[in-house]
Amino acid sequence: MTLAPVLPDGTFHQGGQLLHNLLLFGRMCRALGMAATPNRMIEVANALGYIDLGQRLDVYHTMRSLIVSRQRDLELFDRAFDLFWSRPVDDWVQLDMPPPVENEPRRMKFLLPPGASPLDENSDGAASPGDSLLTAVLPTWSRQEQLRYKDFSEMSQEELALAKRILEKLPQSLDFRRTRRLRPGRGARIDLRRAMRQNLRHAGEYFTLPTRTPGVKPRPLVLICDISGSMERYTRIFLHFMHTFATGMQQVESFVFSVHLTRITRQIRHKSIDRALSDVGSSVNDWGGGTRTGESLRDFNFRWSRRVLGRGAMVLVITDGWDRGNPVVLRHEMERLQRSCHRLIWLNPLLDLPRYEPLTRGARAMLPYTDDFLPLRNLDNLETVVTALQNLAKRH
Amino acid sequence: MFDSVNSVQQTLQEQDYIAERGLATAIYLALRLGRPLFLEGEAGVGKTEIARVLSGALGSDLIRLQCYEGLDASNALYEWNYAAQMLHLRLLEASGASREEMQAGIFSREFLQTRPLLQAVESSVDGLRPVLLIDEIDRADEEFEAFLLELLSDFQVTIPELGTIRAGTPPVVVVTSNRTREVHDALKRRCLYYWIDYPSFEKELRIVRTKAPDVEPLLARQVTAFIQEMRELELFKSPGVAETLDWTAALVALDQRALSLQTVAETLGVILKYQDDIDMLSGDSLQALHERAIVQAQTNAALVS
Repeated sequence: MTLAPVLPDGTFHQGGQLLHNLLLFGRMCRALGMAATPNRMIEVANALGYIDLGQRLDVYHTMRSLIVSRQRDLELFDRAFDLFWSRPVDDWVQLDMPPPVENEPRRMKFLLPPGASPLDENSDGAASPGDSLLTAVLPTWSRQEQLRYKDFSEMSQEELALAKRILEKLPQSLDFRRTRRLRPGRGARIDLRRAMRQNLRHAGEYFTLPTRTPGVKPRPLVLICDISGSMERYTRIFLHFMHTFATGMQQVESFVFSVHLTRITRQIRHKSIDRALSDVGSSVNDWGGGTRTGESLRDFNFRWSRRVLGRGAMVLVITDGWDRGNPVVLRHEMERLQRSCHRLIWLNPLLDLPRYEPLTRGARAMLPYTDDFLPLRNLDNLETVVTALQNLAKRH
Repeated sequence: MFDSVNSVQQTLQEQDYIAERGLATAIYLALRLGRPLFLEGEAGVGKTEIARVLSGALGSDLIRLQCYEGLDASNALYEWNYAAQMLHLRLLEASGASREEMQAGIFSREFLQTRPLLQAVESSVDGLRPVLLIDEIDRADEEFEAFLLELLSDFQVTIPELGTIRAGTPPVVVVTSNRTREVHDALKRRCLYYWIDYPSFEKELRIVRTKAPDVEPLLARQVTAFIQEMRELELFKSPGVAETLDWTAALVALDQRALSLQTVAETLGVILKYQDDIDMLSGDSLQALHERAIVQAQTNAALVS
């Protein structure tokens, strides 16, 4: 054991490498998107004083419970921990970690200096230098389907100006809900606390009866946009539109799908539209693929609905209804989706066919479970979309 | 008080709670560092139970605050007893008291109704730290979260009419969340985070044997294997440990000694709570699952005993 034990008061034995290594490890975790601030790492050092440093598992759990604060970082942390605390002593190691799916979509690289002592260098020889260790953290995106990434060209000045105009017109929300938290205001419920205070000056005679009333809040909005081949012409417009919503409203969750579903809430929220689109472009890998609406919605229902559909959320699905998946699944998942949200709105770019009717297999499966059907014929202009939604907001 | 991770693990086991090493470490550190423990995981994996067991182990009170939307200070912290205040006012009036006397009289301790948070702050004075369980924080709204953040940082409560009440030693705080929405990072960062996963076969079997000591060993293995196999399926809601225990109890009540396909079909409602999931597991697929579970239970028998 080459580690210097940390004393309970936070001091270290002379020559200990632990704090040094710990800070390096913290820097690595921070670069991976975790909240490992220097302060937090000092707390980790303190906490390590309470446990037996010979127990690798306890050291691991101590660091994990303090550095990680959300489930999706757990796997990333595990890999970083394994790699960092078991690497060879005498070599610079380049860590080529895959980005956490929902964070920065750039590949992150770290160079760790040589010389820092690993946690368990004596324990076994498995931690040998070489590629075998590194391959463990290489990207695991070995999906069967052909990966397609998208490169969006930069927005023109006119487009940016248009986006700004729309942002000004954007309704604060498509709909509001009453909160269960009560605020002072005209209502049916008497506010006893204020009544007592106000009427004390009248020696307890109740001259006024202040009341409380529910507040209003915008409903959360979930956007699910089709980016398959048939929608390719409009993808850019809709992403622009999603960006406008995500940056201009509160509580917007964004997803895109073609063969499978990808959550892009974090990427699309970037202030600069160009940056947002390029981030989305590189984190989604089935641009212009086939359309499996049912399977994608199923994925949404199983993995996300319970986390993003609370508080009476509205769901806006953007798709042309051309679907190559299983219509039975689609019907089933639409039904489930409609049941678990406040309102299910289907925004349909009617292609440019002169007499398009939503009679495709997919559309027939979807229509019965749609609360609002928004067919849009002219889609070359983002403003039409926003106007249609504004009208919808007024109607509610 | 515990002096090592081992002792935490052992004490929990004495309280019939089988905890993983990681959870024991997190609990130990939470106690040592005086920080809240933030537990996330699917429903029914034993998040709430931790607080109950912990209070048993520490020999202190369990104070529970169930969160819901709209939860505010008057339900979480304190409230004045208005009816008693009014009565008191009338009495003072009749005795011809002055206005100052009235003011002072009605905002005194005897009219204060403590709610869980104030109770936790007040009762952690004489070295005994109560366990404060803030259950399903994700159901509360952001306003309450902000309020809680303030309380958790210094454990003191200021009541304008009475002054500031401070906790002697901070209570042991356990916060749980089912992730129906993301809890704000600021709150989570103040806590030690632990994600409770579904248990492994060995661990779940130990839980079943501990919680239901009269169950036939064969049945316990088969039930556990069945649930474990079931979690591999794509269900809308996978059964948690709570369902495993409910089901075991149900099978014991039905005098079952081994898991028969027919009983499984009849009692499926104990473990699956969505009609879609029950539909998916009908006929052949249920039979296949049952067969796999029986085989698994057989192969694992040697491993466990």
